[in-house]
Amino acid sequence: MNESRVLIIIPCYNEQESISVLLEEILRCQQGYKTIVIDDGSQDSTYRKAKQLAPTVKLLRNLGIGGAVQTGIKYAYRNGFDFCVQIDGDGQHLPCELSKLLQAYREKPRSIIIGSRYLHNDTFHSTWARRFGGRAIAETLSLLFPKCLVTDPTSGMRLMDRKAIGFFAKHYPHDFPEPISLAWALREGLSVGEAPVQMNARMHGNSSIIGLKPIIYMLRVLGYIILTRLIPTKLP
Amino acid sequence: MPIITTKTIIIIAIFAILYMLFIARKTARRQLDLYDLVMLSAVAIVPIIFATFPQLAYWLAGIVGVGFPFVVMFGILFAILFIFVHRLTVKIHQLESDNRLLLQELSLLSQAIDHNDDAG
Repeated sequence: MNESRVLIIIPCYNEQESISVLLEEILRCQQGYKTIVIDDGSQDSTYRKAKQLAPTVKLLRNLGIGGAVQTGIKYAYRNGFDFCVQIDGDGQHLPCELSKLLQAYREKPRSIIIGSRYLHNDTFHSTWARRFGGRAIAETLSLLFPKCLVTDPTSGMRLMDRKAIGFFAKHYPHDFPEPISLAWALREGLSVGEAPVQMNARMHGNSSIIGLKPIIYMLRVLGYIILTRLIPTKLP
Repeated sequence: MPIITTKTIIIIAIFAILYMLFIARKTARRQLDLYDLVMLSAVAIVPIIFATFPQLAYWLAGIVGVGFPFVVMFGILFAILFIFVHRLTVKIHQLESDNRLLLQELSLLSQAIDHNDDAG
């Protein structure tokens, strides 16, 4: 595992306040992983700041989180990485926690290992709507895919092995991708596991899921997950 | 008084012919494809047929069990437009996917070129 090539994918959009801090933190952790920043068409100085510290892909137009993450996964696939780890560019995910995902993979290999805020952790606090939405999605996933017992399906911190990288390089949901990608992966027979991780509150900026969006988010995600189960056609 | 007078038929026919000329010209300039011409022409042709042969509406209404005959005409128009819109929706989704793919490929290529320039 130590010789495995690991790529950290950091999708970001207008994260000029937090991207440098995050990249410096990754360097401080000295895990020896490669990093790629995917700037999702930011209008601020995110690209310039990121490029000073890590290889950065500037998307020519904003594609949303799914399009940005998939670009990073394609990069990992084409450059022969064994694993890739997605972490958010807003500073919520602690780079030093990445080793926990790899440790979990070592103990029990799964194609996708999710960094869970809630597994063995009662101290992480988020909004009522987020907790409820996350729980509803997790329950639906475990009901429709009994092999998938996850506590944090909306976590954006996850490790993917070569099999998952190959699949997601071709097929990755563009809207609300984290939970939907789990359903797609499970339909394809990929395995999913979790590892407990610590997460920060967002450093700067606000979440894009505000107002009525959590409800719309949940309904769309549940709709996609149910469709994925009801119509079990494998993707081409 | 007849259901549709000659005056009505002439007005509908003029609008239909003008519209068909307009979309035929667009097709000749390759701004529309032949499928679009056929489907959009149907929107012009169907009212002309029903205006010219109003008894057709009564006959069809009797067959499908519709109380008001001209509902049949709007039903046919709706079906044609629905097929057209359905096809457009699929096409737009496909184009969105292609567009996204192209943007990703271009961005990755651009990064690779930058990386090579920096290295070399």
